[in-house]
Amino acid sequence: MIEATFPLLGTAFVVLIVLPAFALLAKAGLVMLERDEVGGPLHGLNLRYVLLTGSSALPVAWLLSAGLHQAETGKSALACLLDHDTAELCFEPGFFALMLAGAILASSIGVIRRHRGVRASSSDAARTLLQRVARITSSDPVLAGLGDRVVVTDDDGFALGTHGLLKPRVFVGTAFAERLSDEMLASALGHEAEHVRALDPLRYLILQLALAVNPFGRFMLEPHAARWQAAREAHCDREAVILGAAPLPLADAIVRAARPGAREVVALGARDTAVLKFRIGMLLAFSERAPARCCHQGPSAFPVAFVLLLIALLLPHQTGTAALDVLHTGAEHALTYFWR
Amino acid sequence: MTFRLRPGKKGLELRLHGLEATIMDVVWGKQLSSFAVGDVLAILEKQRDIAYTTVMTTVTRLYEKGILERERDGKRYLYSPKLSREEFLQSTAREVLDEAVGGHQAMAMLAEKVSEASAGELDDLEALIQKRREELDA
Repeated sequence: MIEATFPLLGTAFVVLIVLPAFALLAKAGLVMLERDEVGGPLHGLNLRYVLLTGSSALPVAWLLSAGLHQAETGKSALACLLDHDTAELCFEPGFFALMLAGAILASSIGVIRRHRGVRASSSDAARTLLQRVARITSSDPVLAGLGDRVVVTDDDGFALGTHGLLKPRVFVGTAFAERLSDEMLASALGHEAEHVRALDPLRYLILQLALAVNPFGRFMLEPHAARWQAAREAHCDREAVILGAAPLPLADAIVRAARPGAREVVALGARDTAVLKFRIGMLLAFSERAPARCCHQGPSAFPVAFVLLLIALLLPHQTGTAALDVLHTGAEHALTYFWR
Repeated sequence: MTFRLRPGKKGLELRLHGLEATIMDVVWGKQLSSFAVGDVLAILEKQRDIAYTTVMTTVTRLYEKGILERERDGKRYLYSPKLSREEFLQSTAREVLDEAVGGHQAMAMLAEKVSEASAGELDDLEALIQKRREELDA
């Protein structure tokens, strides 16, 4: 059997079996969460996100990490980096891991392209709009933090949206802003402020990447991902209103952003008819009765996901059984603690 | 037309209460294009004991909800359905208005089928917002 057989079989095993199996498990969890009558559609957003992304991220992280650990000596990739005597042993695992990373990147390139921002403008119209935005944000303490994060563009097809992964910024189209009253624009900025606060462009990118790298399992998760994203947009509407945005002007701005012709079809998250109606209905309800914070988001979901990711990354580099022993005793202690 | 979705219900009863759904079932099933309260009562009486006033109240409620339309015919009203059963069920699947953070029916409808809103639908939504604004101002 040639040396390439094991890595190729391993990759095939992960892509054809593990990723779809994880997607199936995640789907089961998502179905249960979505059936929760108490919380409704905005319930458990963080937990649902972790299920959607973790089902791909964990197997892929493990595969990449294991790919780096193919050295004959059984040494970890760290040894390859630090000990130059074993350099020749590290070429193949390094090359294999590079190939894997390249394949993952290639499958993700379309997703990354869609997340490009738009070009800022400095025309007279853009300067006027920036002054208007500055006036609006400076008069509202909630929006004050957005002051230097708003970028104006003369792109006629662009309405309004948040771009930028680590330092998200709100892009506003001059033509679209002209169709909004100050109150509508302030409410729309309130909605985007929540996207900025929660680094939503990064979250959306990771979600789409997680689906892209799971070619045989993503069909199971795509409807749930769409529902999660719709619920996330509704959550931003809700947060904006809680923090002082006026519900009816926000509803008006959302409908205007959904008008055909805008290139930014997801402006203010307004795309699908059913989602649009849901959000408008929610905002109409908020105009009668102010909303309170709702819905258990799953606050422990991200820390748990981080720990699991760390385990998936480190486990292939353990030469002995020490890590498994720690995991074993740790699980026993945890069970004893909770059952006591 | 706006409705509150009813958790745990399916089909017509997702948006209509028991007798409302029964009456619409009769109207669509018997293909009654124009009918008086007495016509529906005659059919329902064969199935169960029911008072004229109960049927009249329910039919009036269906008219107020916008499911039936009516025209005066002497001293009585003649009713007719605004939508076919298929149109009504289709609109139910798309209609999640007033279901602010409701049950999983609303969730199931969210983004189940991505389709961009038409200009007409957006006009309707704008009109709805304007109407709510006027109601609040009043």
